[in-house]
Amino acid sequence: MTPKKPALAPPSDLNPRHDPALDFPDREFGELTRDDYAALGFMSGLEVHQQLLTRRKLFCRCPAGRYVDRYDAEVLRHMRPTLSELGEYDGTALMEFKTRKEIIYRLDRSTVCTYEIDDTPPFEIDPEAVESAIELARLFGLNLVSELHVMRKQYLDGSIPTGFQRTAMVGLTGTIPFVEPDLGVDRELRIRQLSLEEDSCREVADVGHRIIFKTDRLGMPLTEAVTEPELMTPDEVRGAGRLLAAVARATGKVRRGPGAARQDVNVSVAGGRRVEIKGVYHHKRLPQLVHIEAYRQLNLLRVREALRARNVRHEDLVVPGDDAPWDASDLVADVTRLKAVRHARLLSTAHERDDTIVAVRLPGFGGLLSHRTQPGLDFSHELAERVRVIGCPTAPLFLLHSDSPIADVRWDELRNAVGARAPDAVVLLWMPRDDAATSAREVLLRAQDALVGVPAETRQAHANGTTGFERILPGADRMYPDTDTPPLPIADATIERITARLPELPWNREARYQAMGLSHTEARWVARAPWRDLFDAATATAGPLTRRVAHALGKRWGSHGGRDVVAGTQGEQMAAAVRAVRDGEVRVEALDRLVDDVLSGMSAAAAVARYVGDPVPDAHTVVRHAAEKAQSLDGRSPETQLRFAMGEAMRQLLGRADPKHVRTELRAMLHAVPETAK
Amino acid sequence: MSATTDRFRGYRGPCRALMERLDFGVWSEVRLETDTGVFEGLVLPRSETSDDLHIVLKLTSGYNIGVRHDAVSAVDEIGYREANYRIPEKAFPSSPSKPRVKLLGTGGTIASRLDYRTGAVIPAFTPGELYGSVPELADICNLETEKLFGIFSENMGPEQYMILATKIGDAIRDGYDGVMVGHGTDTMHHTASALSYMVQRSPVPIVMVGSQRSSDRPSSDAARNLISAAWAAAHGPIAEVMVCMFGPTSDRYNLLHRGTRVRKMHSSYRSTFRTLGDIPVAMVENGEITPLKTDYAPRRDDREVLVQPVFDPKVTLLYYYPGMQPDVIDALVDKGYKGIVIAGTGLGHVNRATYPALERAHAAGVQLFMTLQTLWGFVQMHVYETGREILELGVVPLANMLPEVAYVKLGWALGMHPDAPEDVRTLMTTPLAHDMTEREPHDGYIVLQGGVPEVQAFFGRALK
Repeated sequence: MTPKKPALAPPSDLNPRHDPALDFPDREFGELTRDDYAALGFMSGLEVHQQLLTRRKLFCRCPAGRYVDRYDAEVLRHMRPTLSELGEYDGTALMEFKTRKEIIYRLDRSTVCTYEIDDTPPFEIDPEAVESAIELARLFGLNLVSELHVMRKQYLDGSIPTGFQRTAMVGLTGTIPFVEPDLGVDRELRIRQLSLEEDSCREVADVGHRIIFKTDRLGMPLTEAVTEPELMTPDEVRGAGRLLAAVARATGKVRRGPGAARQDVNVSVAGGRRVEIKGVYHHKRLPQLVHIEAYRQLNLLRVREALRARNVRHEDLVVPGDDAPWDASDLVADVTRLKAVRHARLLSTAHERDDTIVAVRLPGFGGLLSHRTQPGLDFSHELAERVRVIGCPTAPLFLLHSDSPIADVRWDELRNAVGARAPDAVVLLWMPRDDAATSAREVLLRAQDALVGVPAETRQAHANGTTGFERILPGADRMYPDTDTPPLPIADATIERITARLPELPWNREARYQAMGLSHTEARWVARAPWRDLFDAATATAGPLTRRVAHALGKRWGSHGGRDVVAGTQGEQMAAAVRAVRDGEVRVEALDRLVDDVLSGMSAAAAVARYVGDPVPDAHTVVRHAAEKAQSLDGRSPETQLRFAMGEAMRQLLGRADPKHVRTELRAMLHAVPETAK
Repeated sequence: MSATTDRFRGYRGPCRALMERLDFGVWSEVRLETDTGVFEGLVLPRSETSDDLHIVLKLTSGYNIGVRHDAVSAVDEIGYREANYRIPEKAFPSSPSKPRVKLLGTGGTIASRLDYRTGAVIPAFTPGELYGSVPELADICNLETEKLFGIFSENMGPEQYMILATKIGDAIRDGYDGVMVGHGTDTMHHTASALSYMVQRSPVPIVMVGSQRSSDRPSSDAARNLISAAWAAAHGPIAEVMVCMFGPTSDRYNLLHRGTRVRKMHSSYRSTFRTLGDIPVAMVENGEITPLKTDYAPRRDDREVLVQPVFDPKVTLLYYYPGMQPDVIDALVDKGYKGIVIAGTGLGHVNRATYPALERAHAAGVQLFMTLQTLWGFVQMHVYETGREILELGVVPLANMLPEVAYVKLGWALGMHPDAPEDVRTLMTTPLAHDMTEREPHDGYIVLQGGVPEVQAFFGRALK
């Protein structure tokens, strides 16, 4: 056998285009066209995490979806990185280890067992979750695997007590129709994969070297659907997010509500590389986030260009090894005792805490630390974020720099202390000694990254659309098989059963609704509405009333708890009520109220009886009484009187009399109201 | 292993046939055309215990999947990438000022690394490998290792106990300042008690260590256990056979348990090892060893040690249950068993139906001893008439000796005195290495009950 070389490689994190649009003008979100984003080399892909509506968690018998604030006990853990076969730590693993975090888990007996805290091996994977994931994979048109292999995906940030997430690949390589007429999009969206995995802890607090987690959500089943990075504008990202959510909801087997669906979005621009923004709770926020990230990358590339022009090299920024950086590097100085910082008011608390104050020289970075990166933020934020996450300072303020010198620090002295010349920048840091050493190294590491341009990172989304550093983007190296769970073959019978009961896909529904006379917008709205099944039941015999039923349901559903509606009996009742209107038993003006009544649990017969039953009011008498009452409102305008009288009369005549006739009669009785005053 | 077997490693039956027919094997990078679509990945070895219907592919995303053989219609081999299982070694730094510690390996995994391409767990054992995964060890001692066996702890037995005891004796005489024994946790307490009898009056600590969560996982207890055991072996003041494992389930401190009083009490908790009927001999936290007991055997400078590696395997531990039939005991006698340790109920009881069988066993010269299923407390056979009757049958009470410990001690005692039943009885009833204690302190028995307010309050304040 001739030796063959490896041919398969994971998808690259680099943007395929290497020519950054450095001269492209700075623009706010909403000001760029599709062509502008193309000029930037913008590309994006989504990872949508969707909690499944199961009774139990994925690998133990704890209840899923029970959230509590109380806790019975706490457990303390640390995470150690494990080495790969090359004797190297995964970048993320090493970073998390450097933070030396104490991780505290809060345990509540009703929501967690010994599995979640990694004191018991996993139980068999929840079959309900597996079936829902297979169903979802079918809807995405994915190629199903024939055997699930549970893998461990390392997370050393503490969000999972084992240090890894159990996850299994369910299906690969599918497409769904991606049609957004408003965006001029009519193509297919490729879905790369769908996996089934366990959810992580919820963070309570992260201060200094201690991070606290709630464990109630830990272990709940969720699916992760990943699109190919082929979303070409921020609005497409939102559209795709909505589309994926609509497919998930079509199953009726996913959770809704805050945190039940979370998206990670990957972004890059020409010359940049994949950056992942984690945990976006709503599609609405996606466009602005990715727009701002695109410009952050562009600005980092501009910083790189400036550094290249100044001939700053990697070897100018050597990061000292294990020794104290102020002893080992001429870029770093311990300036705690210098007069330069002795009397700075901003540093008085640092002196009180006995912090070590460190100056770090960044050769050739002068002026670049104040280079804008995101709205209201500059390049120094990149340094500060690394220090915040890895150095774990407890004080809110821990970094200053020479690009925005404050008055009472004597920067010239500091510059002398680290031998800074005119083109250099100086960063000042203060915190406990060990952390200061870690942080000084981290500032140099981030400065090295500036020569590369865009570091591959995972970033946190902030409410204002900006992002902060979360961790280094992990590689595929962090995945290994779970030795605690056997492979799970998917039986043909299971697939057949699931296939036989697949729900209608959102785009098929849309087409059906359009055929029923709804506009494209209406059809999409109904197809993605939680009450879509009720609509189907109600409109099976609705005839020309279809559109009115849609709007009635849309208007009224929200006031009845806003939950997914399962058609069932309520569907039959709704259909009967709609039929009563169609057949002329009840006039159409009463439709909204009928829908409301049935949604509130009333039977169609009872609801309809309110409009057709005894006693049958005498329309003329009702109108006359209403007019008399209105006339007694002295001093009110004729329009007000008419409106009042209409309200009075229709309260009794809704569904029975034509409002137009009532209005005409009332107007005649009230004399004074001209036709145009309506 | 032949090249052919290696090429199809773990694949049997229809999968193997498919691979032969379409000419691909393990480590082939393939594009599989199947009736549900195309899958690309690296063919991994199949676990021997898995079925013979699925081919395992590692995708470039790192995920593994199984593809059923009969779904595959065509295979395109596009590359080849064989995994390398070797761990790169880094020389263990040695320093003349640090104590010398010998680590004896029995199997199981004390430390390990992952092969991320295959997910295989590669055990780390040589000093160089250990240094690669737990570099802190180099700050504690000069470590040397010797692998004695490569077996799971459930396969440890008398033969291994004797080899291990001999090797420990050798290490002590060779001048090591401490000995560590890496061991699987399931039967660690059996081995600990065997070593307590076979190696007596050691001048240095003998510390057994293992892990409840394998060391290939970030949350493993292995590194902390190993580091704490190294501190205890290299610097600790206690020259006894001990088990060094997690105290609480939190990453806080380790406990040193006496080899004859320790027992694994939970199938999977980190804090599974508990001292029963007493308190642990010491705590180890961040390299600091704090004795909790004062009656320990102190470390000495001499190299004197009494090694008595003997064991008669014809002994058994009989777990009594209501309704036990006497023929169970008869069968043991017929099969030539020389000693039976009974784990009796309550204060040390069995039912009347077994009396005649016990009588016959005694008459046949079988040594009979009584221990307790309750684990805590003393055998007290004078309290009830039942007890007195059983005593008269020749069953000898063993105070608060743990049942497994009594079993090991009896095998050892019969090995020591094969032809002197009286001496066996004397040895059994003489306290050794704290296997029987005169007093049970009030806090020697603590099984906290969850849910009650004061325990809730305790766990609200203290880390579990």
